[in-house]
Amino acid sequence: MVKVVTDSCSDITPQLAQELGITVVPLYVQFGNETYRDNVDLSTEEFYHKLETSKVHPATSTATPADFAKVFNKLAEETKEILTITLSEKFSAIYAAALQGKSMVKKDCQIEVIDSRGGAGAQMLLVILAAQMARAGANLDQIVDQVKKAIPRVHVRISFDTLEYLRRGGRIGKAQAFLGGLLKLNPILGIKDGAAFPIARCRNRAQAMDFLVNFVKGFSRIEAMAIEDATTPDDLQALAERLKDVVPPEHTYLSKVSPVVGTHVGPHVLLVAVLEAE
Amino acid sequence: MKANLADGQTLKEMFASGTAWLEKSAPDINAINVFPVPDGDTGTNMVLTMQFALEEAKLNSDDHVSSVAKSLAHGALMGARGNSGVILSQFFRGLAKGLEGKTHFDGGDFARALAEASQTAYKGIVNPVEGTILTVLKDASKAAQEAVKNDDTLVSVLEDAVKSARDSVARTPSLLPVLKEAGVVDAGGQGLYVLMDGALQFLKGESQKMQYRRPRLVVAETQLVHRAAQRPTQLETPHGYCTNFVLEGKNLNLGKIERDLKKKGQSLIVTGDDTLVRVHIHSFEPGEILGYATRLGKLHEITINNMDDQYAEFIKMQRERMPQVDIAMVTVATGDGFFELLNSLGNIIIVPGGPTMNPSVHELLQAVESAPSDNIILLPNNKNIVSAASQVQSLTSKKVKVVPTRNIPQGIAAFLAFGYDMNLEKNAQTMEKAINKVGAIEVTRAVRETCLSGLEIRKGQFIAMLNDEDLIARADKAGDVILEALGKAGAEKAGIVTVYYGAEIKGAEAQEIAQEIRDRYQTEVEVIYGGQPHYNYIVSLE
Repeated sequence: MVKVVTDSCSDITPQLAQELGITVVPLYVQFGNETYRDNVDLSTEEFYHKLETSKVHPATSTATPADFAKVFNKLAEETKEILTITLSEKFSAIYAAALQGKSMVKKDCQIEVIDSRGGAGAQMLLVILAAQMARAGANLDQIVDQVKKAIPRVHVRISFDTLEYLRRGGRIGKAQAFLGGLLKLNPILGIKDGAAFPIARCRNRAQAMDFLVNFVKGFSRIEAMAIEDATTPDDLQALAERLKDVVPPEHTYLSKVSPVVGTHVGPHVLLVAVLEAE
Repeated sequence: MKANLADGQTLKEMFASGTAWLEKSAPDINAINVFPVPDGDTGTNMVLTMQFALEEAKLNSDDHVSSVAKSLAHGALMGARGNSGVILSQFFRGLAKGLEGKTHFDGGDFARALAEASQTAYKGIVNPVEGTILTVLKDASKAAQEAVKNDDTLVSVLEDAVKSARDSVARTPSLLPVLKEAGVVDAGGQGLYVLMDGALQFLKGESQKMQYRRPRLVVAETQLVHRAAQRPTQLETPHGYCTNFVLEGKNLNLGKIERDLKKKGQSLIVTGDDTLVRVHIHSFEPGEILGYATRLGKLHEITINNMDDQYAEFIKMQRERMPQVDIAMVTVATGDGFFELLNSLGNIIIVPGGPTMNPSVHELLQAVESAPSDNIILLPNNKNIVSAASQVQSLTSKKVKVVPTRNIPQGIAAFLAFGYDMNLEKNAQTMEKAINKVGAIEVTRAVRETCLSGLEIRKGQFIAMLNDEDLIARADKAGDVILEALGKAGAEKAGIVTVYYGAEIKGAEAQEIAQEIRDRYQTEVEVIYGGQPHYNYIVSLE
């Protein structure tokens, strides 16, 4: 059976990863001299508490080629086919790290690395698709083909209450058009060509949530949906409730943005990703 | 010399008295220009023009009325300010023509001179409009000619002329819809009436009493309807420079000059006589105009203004830091706070303008042409600018969509709704939807006592209009009027209320009002400096 690997920026919950047999390679987050493995040594709750109280702003770093090589070598003991889906190379060097990790593997095992062209929920939906196909018995080529075809059908909208975290982390891209507004705004970003892209601006949280709901309702058929928050579970539940008639709950995945993603998006994001049906 | 004959010095003193009278009422004349926002310079322009006329006349110690009238005409011509000033200078030119060759004048002479003045004034304006100073002058001149039949003394003739002018001013709203809508009389007509009334009082020997009195202004008899009257947008084809000069020469042919210059520009006004001609023209080639004129004589008082200088500079500055984009935004705003706010929200070209200074089609076109894209969304932010904005579409090869924003909160909502992932059509649709979700309350002070939407309003009271249509509240305090208006506009259902405070308001006062809004309506409130003139506050509900 094909084994599916991803990085911690996919925000797949440990339960779901276990259930679907997905191996998650953690990135790293550092507060000063302390380094934590994303979602392993530091839970999301602990992280956001630290983010809001710590005097030092956290830094993030990619998983190393060796981290990937270690995972690949271990998995190669039980499979001949491994698929890795990473965070967009526009956000991180993790895609390159995975490729290098692949080249370090000496065992007889076919390894494919795909750039998800996104992150968080958008990446999550591709990983889930791949894992489900693997469990259904598809081979590596079939899965790679389907995942690559699915990439353009994944759409994501992220509501921010500030773009400061994204700007500070240098990942703001074209969304810098939304910086510096003298009005209090909730900008909505998407991901386009693997990078952050400005979509729209709402005047407050309520408008932003309406925007996310209308975004989802704008699709005629949706295969799967991911909804994420960081520190606002009530808003997450409210969104899920409003969307439960649009996408069935069994195709809806709720999660929290991981500490590494959270470092760059801040504690008040709300995110919706959909995989549009073919 | 007959006893009822007046000389040149009398003419001079008549109009000196008239000017003093006019000065007293200039602020009121300015104020009736537009309601609820005074856009006034009519009174001021007329006074300034008269002061030039009198300066010139003072230097003339000749008793001959013909000579003094010429001086008045010459001075008015040199000092003409604004539209009303130009017409006033035509008035004096006609008067001088009517009194030509006379040493003294009586009522009959004056009546004939007024008739000449009226004709000259009409001729000087390319598209004369009734219900303005022109109509008042025409009516006064007719009454003067009738009066001569009974009694040709100057006092009697002028008395009838003034009375007729007064009635004529009162009728202006029925001739000019824009006045009726605002419930005001024509400002220029009012000015002319006051000027002649002041002259009459001098003739009646009441100069002493005038010191302690004020002119009795004509008020509109029609009930004020609730809409604000605003200066109509000038629908002109493109112009570049407003070129003004006085041409001095011999045997100047006014008709020929007018015909020659007509081909070279727009908004042409040629006034004067065969020795002195004032020219006003909008042209892209001011050099060509001056070249033409210097072949005819000597030039004085040359002014060439790039009419769009202010915003051209503005646009240039904006353009320099603006890369080519898929869709560019062009909008209209006034107030340094709004300029800063709009610029902070993204790349947008702002044409300065608003309720009382509607930009011309040309100004909008220029902004569209300079915008860094071939796809343009135009947000007029004022209902009186919407039609000018629509004109732009046919004048440019660029694709222009006008999203008919009627006030600045709608403009901001539309701007924020701009979607970077949508094409021009889709964006225009999205913006139109967005503007319907915004309510705008505009707060200003009533410039005069009036009755609006069934509410008695005292001069100086704060009034609030909802969506620039309905007057929904009035109160003595700005805070009270805002709170009441918000209640009527459904503030408790609003997600966010934004208070934009004007140029004359202190931030602390705005913050206090914001706190009252939060307390009363339990809603999110943001306070922003708009810096707008005229409106003390603009409040948006979303």
